[in-house]
Amino acid sequence: MREKGAPRETDAPRETDAWVLPPGIPAPAAFERLRAGHLPIRHPTRDALDPAGLVSALRAARRGLAAIPTAEMVRILGGAAETLTRELGRADLLDIAANGRLSAAMARAVVGGMVPAWTTAAIDRLVRAEFPDPRVLDGFIADMDARGDAGTGAAPGRHVRAAGPAVTMHLGAGSVPGVTVTSMIRVLLVRSAVLVKPGAGDIALTVRFARLLHRADPRLARAVAVQYWPGGSRAWDGWERGLLRAADQVVVYGGDATIEAVRARAAATTRLVEHPNRIGVAIVDARTAPGPADADAAPRDAAVPGSDSLARRARAAARAAALFEQRGCVSTHLVLLRGGRTAARHFCAELAAGLEAIEAELPPDPPTPAELSALHQFRGRMAMKGAALWPDAPGGWSVVLAPADAFEPTGGRTVRVVPVDSLATCREVLAPMSPVLQTIGLAGIDPDRAARLAEDLFAIGATRIVPLDQVPFPAADWLHDGARPLRELVRWGELR
Amino acid sequence: MTAGCGAVPGDAAFNRLALKIHAAQRASNPVLRRYWDAVSDRRPTAWHEIPPVPVRAFRDMPIITGTAEVVFRTSGTTGGGAGGGTGGGARRGEHHVASLKLYRAAARGSYRRHLFAGAPALRLISLVPNPALVPDSSLATMAGFIARESEVTDTVWAFDPARGVDVGAVREAITAADPVVATGPVTRASHPAPPTASTPPVLLLTTAFALVQLLDALAQSPLRLPHGSRIMETGGFKGRAAEVGRATLYQRVHRALGVPESHIVNEYGMTEMLSQAYDGVAGQGPPPGERVHRFPPWVRTRALDPADLSPLPAERPGLLAHCDLANAASVCHLLTEDYGSVTADCGVRLLGRAPGAAVRGCSLAAEAFLRVTGGQ
Repeated sequence: MREKGAPRETDAPRETDAWVLPPGIPAPAAFERLRAGHLPIRHPTRDALDPAGLVSALRAARRGLAAIPTAEMVRILGGAAETLTRELGRADLLDIAANGRLSAAMARAVVGGMVPAWTTAAIDRLVRAEFPDPRVLDGFIADMDARGDAGTGAAPGRHVRAAGPAVTMHLGAGSVPGVTVTSMIRVLLVRSAVLVKPGAGDIALTVRFARLLHRADPRLARAVAVQYWPGGSRAWDGWERGLLRAADQVVVYGGDATIEAVRARAAATTRLVEHPNRIGVAIVDARTAPGPADADAAPRDAAVPGSDSLARRARAAARAAALFEQRGCVSTHLVLLRGGRTAARHFCAELAAGLEAIEAELPPDPPTPAELSALHQFRGRMAMKGAALWPDAPGGWSVVLAPADAFEPTGGRTVRVVPVDSLATCREVLAPMSPVLQTIGLAGIDPDRAARLAEDLFAIGATRIVPLDQVPFPAADWLHDGARPLRELVRWGELR
Repeated sequence: MTAGCGAVPGDAAFNRLALKIHAAQRASNPVLRRYWDAVSDRRPTAWHEIPPVPVRAFRDMPIITGTAEVVFRTSGTTGGGAGGGTGGGARRGEHHVASLKLYRAAARGSYRRHLFAGAPALRLISLVPNPALVPDSSLATMAGFIARESEVTDTVWAFDPARGVDVGAVREAITAADPVVATGPVTRASHPAPPTASTPPVLLLTTAFALVQLLDALAQSPLRLPHGSRIMETGGFKGRAAEVGRATLYQRVHRALGVPESHIVNEYGMTEMLSQAYDGVAGQGPPPGERVHRFPPWVRTRALDPADLSPLPAERPGLLAHCDLANAASVCHLLTEDYGSVTADCGVRLLGRAPGAAVRGCSLAAEAFLRVTGGQ
């Protein structure tokens, strides 16, 4: 990203229009104003925009979208994303930060970490990972599987084609910048026009990307709409219901209540692609790290070749917890540490040092009274349970050393460290969390044991098992919540 | 330092009692001892030096010295994790109460003073459930105490936890008493209606939520409660914006039931405390925006700086901590999640929950996590 001078955290965010509409849709004439995080925004009033007309305009744009060959679409999307990162200046970052209630430094780190998954090369890799012959997105092609490439037993001579439905609606999660950009790229790659409702904290980045798409190609301009409205509000229920019934497919990120509300109101024929909230975990083996002996534990294992120190593993855990202010579905909340009490304390101290260093590098947004209140309640509860706490006084992060019972994700850069006797124990500890597991970061575990452990973890629901230092930023082609990111958006056709 | 309001008569006695109870709690309750040892290495010399226990701890473990005669449970499932999320949200808090007699003694003086206000006879209509239906509700239990007072001539329980407000029962109870007065139009000129011997005033106990339900149901056919009727409402409608809500609510009450705002009293209580605060005496209540809650003399309240829990001066809003000596068998000094200030004369100005709810992302909140895992 280009930096235009050092960001000044005191700069006031600018009012942002939380919509981008296709040409031909009349500009809204009446607005409501509110603050999204610290960012003042305005969005059209309910009667200033016709949901049916909007969906109808997007549906009409499908033909133009379908005419863009995959290779060209990859170049357009990658080019727009590269332009976005190139042109993102200080003021933009401050708006993005204010919108997500992040510090400017954290906003820079988050966007900077996501950018590699939006480049032309990464998008091309994504398409090829999903569709070995990407031309299947352009028209009917001979079925590679039918030729025996994948041994599916399909009849030879079959031609297949894949495409998203005409209009996909994206409903974004709260406050993680970039989630919506990733979703828009995926939807457009499968040639579905997209109507985006960004999360309240992801408006600033989304509208900037959508404007660049409009600028990049008139066919995309007609196929991309962004509109924010206060989700879950009774006043907007009818409006939202109209969109949910008109869209062909809905991609929804959110909590249980959001997803259940979408299920209840979408048409039976509408395809739903759900990304519910998740919990991130790390498994760290202290017994393979060089360092002081753990007097109260079993003898140390042989160090993993090329192994890093426990301090380094703790720093990776700190980063995995702190990035996105622990609001990401990949964010680490719980560390299962193989080792005895001494190792656990040593690790916690290193983790605390890591979180403190990150606090200086990527400070959090100043906490609100409600957040401070929650912190006091949490720390008090932990003290009553006999947990060991770092730091001594409430601050911008917490490390809690305690048994696994009564663990709950608390946010606010809070990491629970739970000592375990063996890697096999991890499965028992994590099994109750099975429905909400997603990313598990591993550190200090050699490849053979990691492979065996991965089988266990996959069996109980984990879908992304990666080295701990890779936790925060998934690759473009990651199997998001156990699904193939583009294939889950398409329908297939066959021609015999 | 105590900050907040100045010296209060009885401070020395309060202090002696608080320290004595603290010592007893510390000696007999290992969980509390562990907590106090963990958070402070100083032995308290005054009540405000006793580290307050976070109210959310009541969701994690029983906090009691001795044996519980009754366990009261919180109804809410809202809450806040360390990031302001919903930590502990899926579990209900439990207050293990050693003596119902003590609870009644702690509650009685205040409700008699603020709600009965010398009325020789009252008919009770309760939109708080009958305690027989919800024996673990501290509010319902208090409603049961009120129903047993000698001034209460009869009681209508008009709220069912499963079905909500029984509007028919309310209407019947009011019209049966005096059909002429009860169904006449409500205007400022017509209220209060002339007192008659046959129409003892009504004491309506209600949550703000149930009251709104009743008002909605009565929108087209208002009733008039007899002269001198009064309402105790509790829960909700705190905070500056909500004061507007409360003023509006009270106007709606006047239109639908003929009870002026001076006769509506807000009660502030919590499951974790045996004592309550009221913001006026029935019949003498000031306008909603000018109200201040007052506890009985065995309770002290401070507003604490959310950053470091240091005490704040009078009128500065912060997190409220109450020291309720009636909680002798559980724990007296509580750190709440409520926001407010203490006035110079030791009243409490409630502002609702601490402002600035946490920003949410796609990481799982504690409430949802506990729902999925069954609380581990």
